[in-house]
This record gives sequence, C-alpha cells and structure tokens, in this order.
Amino acid sequence: MSLVNFTAREITCKIVYYGPGRSGKTSNLQYIYGRVPQDRRGKMVSLATASDRTLFFDFLPIDLGSISGFTTKFQLYTVPGQVYYNATRKLVLQGADGVVFVADSQARRFDENMESLQNLQENLLAEGTDIRDMPLVYQYNKQDLPADLIMSPSELDDALNFRSVRSFSSDCLHGSGVFETLKGVSELVLQKLAAGAPA
Amino acid sequence: MTALYLESLEGLTRLRGVAGAMVVSADDGLVVAESLMEGIPGDAVAALAASLMRRMGTTVSAAGFSRPSFMHLQAARGALLVVPAGPDILLIAIGDRHINLGLARIEMLQAAEQLG
Amino acid sequence: MRALEPWVEQPLMTFLTESEARLTLLMTSAGQVVAQHGFTRAVDIMSAAALGAAIVSSTEEMARVLGVRPFRALTHQGESHGIFLSAFETPRGRWIGLVVYGQDTSLGLVQLFFDRMVDELTQGVPAEGGTKQVLAQDFESELHSSLRALFGR
Repeated sequence: MSLVNFTAREITCKIVYYGPGRSGKTSNLQYIYGRVPQDRRGKMVSLATASDRTLFFDFLPIDLGSISGFTTKFQLYTVPGQVYYNATRKLVLQGADGVVFVADSQARRFDENMESLQNLQENLLAEGTDIRDMPLVYQYNKQDLPADLIMSPSELDDALNFRSVRSFSSDCLHGSGVFETLKGVSELVLQKLAAGAPA
Repeated sequence: MTALYLESLEGLTRLRGVAGAMVVSADDGLVVAESLMEGIPGDAVAALAASLMRRMGTTVSAAGFSRPSFMHLQAARGALLVVPAGPDILLIAIGDRHINLGLARIEMLQAAEQLG
Repeated sequence: MRALEPWVEQPLMTFLTESEARLTLLMTSAGQVVAQHGFTRAVDIMSAAALGAAIVSSTEEMARVLGVRPFRALTHQGESHGIFLSAFETPRGRWIGLVVYGQDTSLGLVQLFFDRMVDELTQGVPAEGGTKQVLAQDFESELHSSLRALFGR
C-alpha cells in the first residue's frame, strides 16, 4: 500500500513487475537503472542465482521528483518467474500499489504467460485484493523478434487482456516501450491515489 | 552443560538474600540459563550486567588492573553481583537487602571456576 | 533522524540513546520506510528496507512451512557489526524494525530497548485523520514532465 505522508509531503509507491520466467522483468529494471540519473536512483539490488535468474527479487528505488508538491518515490520490484518460486512471488506482491504484467510475445511461450497471469490473480486474491482493483498494465515484450515467432500486440490483447487495460509493446533489451510502460502504470497508481483511495 | 549451569544457579539462589541468578552470554547480554524469583526482569538485568562488565573491562584494563574478576553494583532496592565464568560467560546474582555479600562472592567465584 | 510521522520520533530517539545503535530503520511489512536514523541517502534506505522486509517475510514463511510460530526476532552477527530485525504489530499495521549495532552495545541491550520502543509506539499511535486530497488535478502533466526529465525523453 502506498505510503503518503502529509507532514513530510512524500509519496512512496511499490510497483511489481510480474510475468513468466525470462519474459524480461529484470531487463526492464536494468534498462531503467541505466537511464535514470544517478542522483535519482538507488542501487539496483538483485537477488539472483549463479545463472542470473532472479531468485527472490530485483529492486530499484527511483525518485520521481515533486508531483503536486509531494516528493514522489517509486520502488520497482520484479518477482522470480519460475513456477516453483510462488512463495517468494507472494511475498514480493505484498503491499503492491501497481503491477506490470510482462508477457513474453513468443507464441511458444503463450501457455506460460497464461499460467503466470492466473497465478497473479490467485496470489492477489490470497492477499485479499481483487485484480480488478489493482492498477495493472500489460507489456508485450520481445516484439523485436521475427514476426513468425511472436504474437502481435492485438493477438496478445485478445488472448490475455480480458479487462482491456492499457498494454504496451516493448523490446526491453533496447529500451523500446520500457519508459512508456512505467509511465502507464505510474499514472494508474497515482490516479488511484488522487481519487482518494485509502493511502 | 545446561544442567551444570542450572546446578550452579540453584546453589546460588539457596543463599539468603539472593533473589535470582543467571548465566549470561558476555558478548551479547542474552540469558543462557536463569533461576529467578517472579517479577525480576531477567532480560533487562542480563543486558545491563553484560554492558557494564564490558565497559568496565575496557576501563579497568586501560588502568592496568587486567580483567575485572568481580563486580558489585549496589542500588537502593538491591544488589547486582557479576563474575566472569570464562571468556564468554558471566555469572550473575541479584540480591535484596538481606544478602550476605561476602558469602555470595565466595560462592559465585567457586561456581564460576566450575563453569569456566 | 527522520520520521515520516512526528509521533514516532520520541520513542525512536529514546531507543537510539539507550541502545546506542548505529542505524535504525522502521518500515511497514511491505518495505515502506516509516522512520530512519543514520542513513545518509534516501535511496539506500529503500534498498535496506526492501531487503529487511524480505528477510522477515521469508523467515515468517519459513516458520509457516515448518509449522512453528513466527520468529520474534532475527539477528545476524558479524565481526564488528550485528543486525537485529523484528516485526511487531501496531494499530497502523505490521511494522518491522531493522537495527545495525556495533561493539559499543550488545544484542541484549538492543533487544531490551527495542521492546520498550515497541511498547511506546503501540501506545502512542494517534487516531488517523480522514482521507486527504493527495494530488492536484494537474498531477498527470507533472508526472509526465517528471518522467520525461528522468528518462531524458
């Protein structure tokens, strides 16, 4: 849950990048880390295995500066994608203010996207949150791959995006769509705050 | 080992005026074994005693007296006695105003020798 | 020392004075910082909070898996520094304390005064006010310009 402090005029929000293993969640954070000026970001913390798969989470705090007179900070987290790490996914999801679902656009990974999406829904529900109440955007990553290997954004929208939330095409390794996705989810999270949702 | 600690503590608490005794880890001030009358805040006494002993150890050594071998703190409502039992363990006795300090000191030094 | 809520300041200050801890961080169970002492950069605090909350969460989960009650406190003892982590309930939800202490104090003292701080915190919580207006209507344009400035686009 976002922490809003009226005395210090500070807002801190937690955004979780969710999705199947190797869909590009960590790459999102790495790209953001590389582009944000040093004085506006913290260290990127990665709890990864020897083979660089996320074991617990990646974490990147960024300072958005002043918005409506509030110093606004975002804490970006990724979850481990592999199915067997569900306990840690649940822990990271605790208290999330917004979720970016990073789907792998490759057609052969479609089932894993679907499974991960269902898992997100279940884990939110276990925490008492209906996915419909959670600020959520989709990111269809790896759209730079050859067209015969991937599903198009509209195909992915039809297959995964039942709620018709905002979706973004991306190529996280080179950065296309990363900024737009973060902007999209930031807007939703802050809109929810602005609407007077309990903070 | 715990049985040996408890045996030593029971020996001390049988003395007149001793309201409780503890074996405490010297480094972190945590209780290892205790035999206390109800109402004595063991955790607080253990932390206090270990902290005092460590500070006193530094000061006493700096003054050229080597390590302290016995500490007696007299307060308005009781006494705290501390003896190191080896490098890592402290033996502590908490006394009321009826405590026989001389006897308690001898018993504690003997018990500390056994434990160390 | 810095506390987001003024009522947290006094108990935290007392704890710092009594325990002689080097760094202290109070956070929500999701890793959101509530108060801190000793950290120099806001973003480093966030990393420490995220990691501290993760350690506590994973240990609580471990307790659940093992079928035992959640652990009251966790400590990591280093050569010159120790870390003490403990979760506690407040009327504002579950909070976590992370304390780094050196050789000038001890785990026993830290734990003792931490428990006292928790008592003071849980007793001193003021009633929460109603929902306040957080963001002005034009926050979206400000957000856009902030993000643009941040990403250089």
